Amino acid sequence: MIFENELGWLGIAGELFVTTAFISSFISAIAFYVSAKSKDDILQQSWRRIARMLFIIHAIAVTGIVATLYYIIHEHRFEYNYAWEHSSMQLPMQYLLACFWEGQEGSFLLWMWWNMVLGSLLIFRAGKKWEAPVLCIFMVVQAFIASMLLGIYIWDYKIGSNPFILLRDVMIDAPIFKRVDYLSFIKDGNGLNPLLQNYWMVIHPPILFLGFASTLVPFAYAMAALWKKDFTGWIDSVLPWTLFSGAVLGTGIMMGGAWAYESLTFGGFWAWDPVENASLVPWLILVGGIHTMLAYKKTGHSLRSTFLFYLLTFILVLYSTFLTRSGILGNTSVHAFTDLGMSGQLVFYLMALAIPAILLLIINWKKIPSPEKEEAMASREFWIFVGAGILFISAFQIILYTSIPVYKGLVHSITGVEIAPPTEPIQTYNSYQLPVAVLILLLSSLALYLKFRKSELKQFYRRMLVIFIVTIGFTILIAWKGGLTYPTHVALLFTAIFSIVANLYYLFTVLKGKHRLYGPALAHLGFGIFMLGVLISSANKHTISLNYRGVDYGEQMNNLELHTNQFMPKDSRERMGNYFATYIGDSIAEPNHYYKVLFERVNKWDSSVVHEKFILRPNAQINPKMGLISNPDTRHYWDRDVYTHVTTVPEKNNDDINKEAIFKEHLMAKGDTIFTSNSFVVLENVDQVTESDKVKLVKGDLCIGAKLHLYPLNGKDYLAQPLYWIQGGKPELITDKVSELGLVFRLTKILPDQNKVQIDVAEIKPEQDYIVMKAIVFPYINLVWLGIVLCVSGFLVSLIRIFQKKKTAIKNVESI
Amino acid sequence: MKKVHIIGLGIIAMAIGIIISTASDYSTYETFSSAQLKKGKDFQIVGTLDKSHELEYNAEKDPNYFSFVMKDKNGFACKVVFHGSKPQDFERTESIVLTGRMNGDFFDATHILMKCPSKYKNDKLDVNGYIEAVPSKSPTE
Repeated sequence: MIFENELGWLGIAGELFVTTAFISSFISAIAFYVSAKSKDDILQQSWRRIARMLFIIHAIAVTGIVATLYYIIHEHRFEYNYAWEHSSMQLPMQYLLACFWEGQEGSFLLWMWWNMVLGSLLIFRAGKKWEAPVLCIFMVVQAFIASMLLGIYIWDYKIGSNPFILLRDVMIDAPIFKRVDYLSFIKDGNGLNPLLQNYWMVIHPPILFLGFASTLVPFAYAMAALWKKDFTGWIDSVLPWTLFSGAVLGTGIMMGGAWAYESLTFGGFWAWDPVENASLVPWLILVGGIHTMLAYKKTGHSLRSTFLFYLLTFILVLYSTFLTRSGILGNTSVHAFTDLGMSGQLVFYLMALAIPAILLLIINWKKIPSPEKEEAMASREFWIFVGAGILFISAFQIILYTSIPVYKGLVHSITGVEIAPPTEPIQTYNSYQLPVAVLILLLSSLALYLKFRKSELKQFYRRMLVIFIVTIGFTILIAWKGGLTYPTHVALLFTAIFSIVANLYYLFTVLKGKHRLYGPALAHLGFGIFMLGVLISSANKHTISLNYRGVDYGEQMNNLELHTNQFMPKDSRERMGNYFATYIGDSIAEPNHYYKVLFERVNKWDSSVVHEKFILRPNAQINPKMGLISNPDTRHYWDRDVYTHVTTVPEKNNDDINKEAIFKEHLMAKGDTIFTSNSFVVLENVDQVTESDKVKLVKGDLCIGAKLHLYPLNGKDYLAQPLYWIQGGKPELITDKVSELGLVFRLTKILPDQNKVQIDVAEIKPEQDYIVMKAIVFPYINLVWLGIVLCVSGFLVSLIRIFQKKKTAIKNVESI
Repeated sequence: MKKVHIIGLGIIAMAIGIIISTASDYSTYETFSSAQLKKGKDFQIVGTLDKSHELEYNAEKDPNYFSFVMKDKNGFACKVVFHGSKPQDFERTESIVLTGRMNGDFFDATHILMKCPSKYKNDKLDVNGYIEAVPSKSPTE
């Protein structure tokens, strides 16, 4: 059977690319392996040449898969399931990229593509000695990822999920696919999840996946080092990669946080959601590894832990992949991927890489050099080691709690208890991570003042005293101003300020303009500012949309948590903290529904003085498939954010009014008045209507409208115009409804001889136009973003320094 | 004993401490009747919306009071009160995960996680609509 207009060759090309990518990576891994194993120089070289050739084929194939899949989405080839499932006709161009990586297959593809790019860089940079073993590990991983796209069956077991599968092969039972011309009926795709129709979805995944992909570099080097038993030679090559990885992965994670804050509605940038945790944990371990590696470079200590940390980083990336893609998080996370039945495969790959890695490390543990002499207490390397240990503990707690869905089955079978994740995840995680933050802040400020090997303590104490006094001053000031009284909050405040002061002091007085050495202090300063922002914005965040309607005075009144959603009838000026907010109307720009809310900031003491006015437009998509999807809108000030989102809107019911309403008849002449229970209605005139938004008038139709002016007992007046429409000799009555007043009008008779018309009026339940919204003030949230930017730039400054050092080293060699 | 070993042991001790404390931090999946027995503790309950009862939500009266009846996995129905706004399209939800505690004869929910049948990833092609549209096309076209 040949189907009309179906571009079958695209899928065949795509599948061919996938198969090529898989096979080439697999064979390339073998070729690199043989090259790494062989002792003979010529053999080594020729195998390496073969492996490189295969790598080039692999690179072309991966790019081919990307191009084919993107073409399918871009051209709206809905005969392919991926395009149908993830995109639709009306999606703007920029979101087509988001469709690409919305699905599991696309995101694996993104990962694989980055791995390929990094792999090509490594072929140039790794050097003769490391290229073969490192790339061998690389290509093994690449083969694993490529197999996730195979979508073939081995006996009954499905390996991977093919992104090029046809829609008619997915929905085999649907009768429509029996038709040769079925494609002419599939006019549109399912579309992109509206939560993801967001520019963050375009930039966040590529950066996050570049971060994930880059953790493979230190892993591959560490494995290669253990395998080739050259435990020290890899450090210099891998250092810039890990700094890069730390910067990119860190940016990726916090972009997720910024996305959540800006366009999701859980009211914050971090909720300890399992998916967030799964990406944070590898980063924590990676940062630990970077630090122990620096300690090793300067003193020879902590090499073993460096191996451990780098191996763990990538294993944890794989583990997160398993967590977020196996569907195991189902009941606990809002944004885990749906299960594609690949969890078995993911577990297999995780084990296939983790077990050899851990075994290799255990076997070689004693052989990895470690100085006989202990670290001195007053040395930087000692405290770096302590800090790395704390990061390890932090990561351990997060992953242990996040993994509850993984081991709950085991616990159930042993104890019979069905365990679930903590009911208040934010409080639970914070209670562990807050002390961690305090310790890390202290170490990140002290450690720089200590020198490697042995420090002059006199100078250290003198500087610390100065910093301590300044810190105490600021702490008291901010704690008093910000009303921070909990001991834990004060401890965090103190250490955050300590870290800021210490690192600033270090930058300006110790380094004295040696810009190239700014990296570490800048990163630590960023972390201090970040934590200060986290503390103030979350401890002092307060909801200003407090609803007092229907609330009992007394106990319920005091529990602010119970009335954080405010009811906002249209045009009613409601108090919100230092603001007055008025819901002034809505507008629709498909698919978004914007609710305009006018904010007026008033004087604290005299609310008649208005300082400023602005309009926020929190929007909602009333999606037929997903219900109300709310997007916040935020007013940014330098020292705070006012964050608003709509939580409920009235459900418009457009039931047939004529059925339920009971009409009362009135004979009226121009200027006559009738009374309803809530208003009086004046007939202004009766005229022929040539244009109406209610009916489509054609030439030859006669349409008469009765213009009614409604004056409610309180509030503003309204107009209504019921129509009497004669279309092809048959009259039709077009009612007009003023839902705010609950009045329905009908023009039933026109009596020209009496100069009167008959107006029927029905009273129904008034339908108010309103929104229910939340408004939260986040003080000093900009410190959070500033901190992240500084922290990431710290990584980058260090990275630049390494490259400059290398350049000067090369120059020196050349000049000799 | 080296300092590094002491720190290593300290880390292991802390890790064990965290594992032990997991035991007090996790919550459990319960049913309404088992939650009733353990008052004053928070639980998670999985169930379905009992559609024979009306949802109670009146934004004008109190936008932070939403009440409905849910059946747990044993089929036991119980009134649930949530102090927040009614999630849109709640009527259509298929499965609900509640977090909260029993408070007398009703369940006081702090979080509601809904699983909609029409989650976006639904492989339902509107096939009938397309097929019905066929006869209207004249064959001579």
